[in-house]
Amino acid sequence: MSALLPVVQPGIFIMVIERLKQFFVKRRILAVLAVIGPGVIAGNAGNDAGGIATYSIVGAREGYGLLWALLLITFALAVIQEMSARMGVVTGKGFGDLVREQFGVRVTLAIMTLFVFANLTVTIAEFAGIAASMELFGIHKYVSVPVSAFVVWFVVVKGNFKQVERFMIVISLVYFTYVVSGFMANPPWKEVARQISFPQVRMDRDYFLLFITMVGTTVTPYMQFYLQSAVVDKGVRVEEYSYARYDAYVGAFMTVFIAFFIVLCTGTILHPAGVIIDSAEDAAKALEPLAGPFSAHLFALGLLNASFLAAFVLPLATAYGLSEAFGWESGINKTFSEAPQFLGFYTAFIVIGAGIIMIPDIPLIKIMFFSQTINGILLPIVLVIMLRLVNDRSLMGDYVNSRRMNIITWAMVLVLITLTVLLLVTSFLS
Amino acid sequence: MPFFAGDIFVSEVHRKPVLDRAGEEIGKLTDITVGQGDPFPSVTALVVKSGKLTYLIPWDQINLFNKRVISVNLLRDQLSPAVIEPAEVLICRDILDKQIVDINGAKLVRVNDLKLGDVNGRVSLIAADIGLRGILRRLGVEARGERLLSVLRYRLQNVLIGWHYLQPVEPKLNKLTLTVSRQKAAQLHPADLAEIISEVSQKERSAIFGSLDVETAAEALHELEPSVQADIIDDMSKEKASDILEQMPPDEAADVLGDLPEAKAQELINLMEKDEAEDVQELLEHEEDTAGGLMTTEYLAFPPDMTVEDAIRELRLEAPDVETVYYLYITDDQERLLGVLSLKSLIMARPETLLQDIMRSPMKTLSLDAEQMDVAEFISKYNLLAAPVVDENMVMRGIVTVDDVVDFLLPPASRKKRRKI
Repeated sequence: MSALLPVVQPGIFIMVIERLKQFFVKRRILAVLAVIGPGVIAGNAGNDAGGIATYSIVGAREGYGLLWALLLITFALAVIQEMSARMGVVTGKGFGDLVREQFGVRVTLAIMTLFVFANLTVTIAEFAGIAASMELFGIHKYVSVPVSAFVVWFVVVKGNFKQVERFMIVISLVYFTYVVSGFMANPPWKEVARQISFPQVRMDRDYFLLFITMVGTTVTPYMQFYLQSAVVDKGVRVEEYSYARYDAYVGAFMTVFIAFFIVLCTGTILHPAGVIIDSAEDAAKALEPLAGPFSAHLFALGLLNASFLAAFVLPLATAYGLSEAFGWESGINKTFSEAPQFLGFYTAFIVIGAGIIMIPDIPLIKIMFFSQTINGILLPIVLVIMLRLVNDRSLMGDYVNSRRMNIITWAMVLVLITLTVLLLVTSFLS
Repeated sequence: MPFFAGDIFVSEVHRKPVLDRAGEEIGKLTDITVGQGDPFPSVTALVVKSGKLTYLIPWDQINLFNKRVISVNLLRDQLSPAVIEPAEVLICRDILDKQIVDINGAKLVRVNDLKLGDVNGRVSLIAADIGLRGILRRLGVEARGERLLSVLRYRLQNVLIGWHYLQPVEPKLNKLTLTVSRQKAAQLHPADLAEIISEVSQKERSAIFGSLDVETAAEALHELEPSVQADIIDDMSKEKASDILEQMPPDEAADVLGDLPEAKAQELINLMEKDEAEDVQELLEHEEDTAGGLMTTEYLAFPPDMTVEDAIRELRLEAPDVETVYYLYITDDQERLLGVLSLKSLIMARPETLLQDIMRSPMKTLSLDAEQMDVAEFISKYNLLAAPVVDENMVMRGIVTVDDVVDFLLPPASRKKRRKI
């Protein structure tokens, strides 16, 4: 009997694998998994260093008072990301390509200038996030920033699309540390549910400002640029569109799902204690005496991971966008000699982003404010252009927005535009 | 035929008002339609928009067309709104800002502007602007940008791709494919280059040749049909042409010159270096399809009393300039052919041996007026790589190498196809 075992076992293994394969193929799970990636990565990259800071602050200041807004954000993000993915799949072109071809040089140049400056400042913020979170683990920024910058550079320059995408998906899974943090905080679930179902909307300035900051940090132009370019670079075909749609939806849902647990965590532990925080690293530090070192470390790890993922996505989104606008060769699979401008801009962004963090005493708050402002100006322009492109029958054929979709999206875009304009105005006034 | 002076960039006339015969504004120029199929697509009509109305004004109704004024021979009331057919190619809509890709589909750059110019009396799309200057022009800040950059000592130049390097236009273009990339042209194998060149229009071949270095041009020229070679040389500047001819083996240079008008050929020969010119001149005097016309005057000749050691040293010096090094011909001081020596027997001989002791003699020779088929049979029969050509006094005049006659020896199907347009 024992002699038979080694012979029988591989057979069983193969059978089990075959069964599993059949199961997956039957339910098209493999096909979906093959397409999933750009949407999930773009969505999670929206939860970057700035996003985590915002959600931490929202929880600490308002408790569960703003959780209801996450439902709206999920919806808005899902609708917008789906349109980006659809345009990428149907036209085979990035957002930069379409803007240049349909709107000409002037509009393209204006958008790309804003886009580059906004992304550069956000990239700086991501490396700042890496530096801050690593310092919580006792690693100095002069070590953590160059090392992580090199890793970010090396993976994209040397890796192929598949490897880079898998790498980023794995990073995206680390976000679940925040879910663990949220559960560990042991929130009063009934109270959470009550506050979501019957939100007590306050009409004061702080509450409102937090609300629009939260929207502004979750729906950012670089996510749409990245998603569309990545869908194109991946080569997703029109026949796979329905899977690409899932990808966008899953990405949007996961983004807000993670955000929910961040708010839950700081809302449960920091809010009742009345701790005032201004950043994500503040939140991690404040958690330590209240919830123990493990919680604090978990939170810091989440911030590191979030900053790291976005440090990939922002330079990539910029390099894609610029290459598309000016017609240069682009793609993660390309070598430096094949796509010199694409990889050149990618490299430059990492060098500048990481380099600025190495300068002592840089005014990070001002940089963040600057990036928020430019993104605020850019988002309405991008959304309006996106709606015009997605409704252009000569580009999209039968994949244009339906009437109902247009009513929803225009209404939503108008709300988003109003909110960002308000955010800009109030931040300038204060 | 409308009055059209100089070249115009599309961005300079785009959105400009179009006036009728009475000076009334019809509308704004929004696009230009071009014909299909030509290497340089010619302008067929202007698309003029006024409010919601679109007019299509045929090119032959245009009176003035320049940066300042666009006017039409008709009156506004005579025009009726038109519908643009889906098969029309509109250059602003379909070509401007489009992606340019190279032969392999790799993205290169976008079309920043388009240049219109005169081709055989028709206003046509002659080039795509891919430079910074084109972008500045589109933004309406060309002059300011130029001034600003000149302060930085940067001369703002037009970077244009002639339309002959681009695929013909067709409706619903998604991208434009380059038929040849300028940087890569010099790196291509001469035979491939010849193929690309034979696909472009006659006027532009010389332009491509102009951009090649002399050596590459000489090799590529060699791959083309003799009559095409002559056309290209004829179009080129005389200096460049003579430089290229110098680079070619004398027999091929003579072939090319033989197809040119006599006066032109003579002029080019006079511009060539003396040695090369003499060789070519001599070859030109023979009928093209005889041994005299086929032969080259570059060969290795040594005196009979030279030692093997000296001959090998000499061979090293002369080898770069001759087509064939496999045979050494032994001639006396009157250049009369005494014998022949293969490279193999030269290398195998002892260094101090005299050439006359190891040369083969007597030997088979060709006369200057031998027919080309006879020359081919001769080379084939004796399994030679080259055969010496002598005059009636046994004075050596040149050699015919096997590659000059191989086409006559092979069955028709495997013959090298010289490219013809």
